[in-house]
Amino acid sequence: MKRFGRWLIPILPIPALALLAFGLTRNVQVLPSAIVGEAAPEFHLETMTGDSLTLAGLDAQVVVLNFWASWCIPCRQEHPALVRATEVYDDSDVRILGVLYQDTPAGAERFMQRFGGEWETVLDPGTRTAIDFGVYGVPETFFIDADRRIAYKHIGPLSWEILQTKVDSLLAVGGA
Amino acid sequence: MRRLAPLIILYLMLAPESALAGPQEEGMSAAEVDQLSAEVAAQLRCPVCRNQSVLESSSGLAREMQSVIRERLAGGETPKEVRAYFVGRYGDWILLKPEPKGINLLVYLLPAAALLFGGVLLYYRIRRWTGATAPGPTASLAGLEVPDAEPTSADAAGGLSEEEEEWIRQQIGSHG
Repeated sequence: MKRFGRWLIPILPIPALALLAFGLTRNVQVLPSAIVGEAAPEFHLETMTGDSLTLAGLDAQVVVLNFWASWCIPCRQEHPALVRATEVYDDSDVRILGVLYQDTPAGAERFMQRFGGEWETVLDPGTRTAIDFGVYGVPETFFIDADRRIAYKHIGPLSWEILQTKVDSLLAVGGA
Repeated sequence: MRRLAPLIILYLMLAPESALAGPQEEGMSAAEVDQLSAEVAAQLRCPVCRNQSVLESSSGLAREMQSVIRERLAGGETPKEVRAYFVGRYGDWILLKPEPKGINLLVYLLPAAALLFGGVLLYYRIRRWTGATAPGPTASLAGLEVPDAEPTSADAAGGLSEEEEEWIRQQIGSHG
């Protein structure tokens, strides 16, 4: 018993320390998502102009669903990338769709007027679609492939490079 | 007792579950729905505040999540199904108390195992400190041999000296 104890006491804290070290080296900002790789939740939302829009009704090969708000500062940072995407890609290939997150249509209009450009944004009353997609906050972007599965999720502001890389990889798969 | 311990732990973990299951399918009063949705909201992590439950948080998202919980319960879903919906969106992370399965089981079983181990260790220590040598039904616990029962290891463990043992033998001899 005593020999056993002599070994055991220095060994016992090792798993606890290893666990602590593992915890400390993890990035707490990166949150898990259960939805990547799964079928994108269907939605039925209204655009800012009052049109009705569903995911199933979109015929683009790739859908980029961007949750944003006019009060969100990082959303301003990614705005030019999204504007550029609407200009570069054809609507039948890539549909850039904004979902307004806890914001008013008036706020969204002011944002678009102030920062220029425009891409289609749908309203999400009650934040139901955001919760369906497991959104933590804005901006968050979901890249939905031709089979309407969520291929990638990007947390935080998008850059043009990230957007282009992800969209092109999905176009390459779908268009082959 | 060793066989019972995991069962007791499992029962304690599952008890609130069974207490919650049942009446919601037959249609509940508004007060019952409120009560049940508060219980479910208290078990879910607010995605914005992270260390608060959906019930405690005053963030917009948490309030909308509470509405979703209430709607789903009123629509006939069980608390378990409502939790499963959020886990499907946000992953296990959304549960403040992890489900007792897979690696999560460690969280529930390790403290009990440590307590058991500590208890056994303490038992033998105390036996040695008090110099107890009597073998008997308590000679083995948890499959461990009692070292004190063997004279050689008792000596090594700082038990009785040879003089003391000789004196005890004389005492026993004089009585028998």
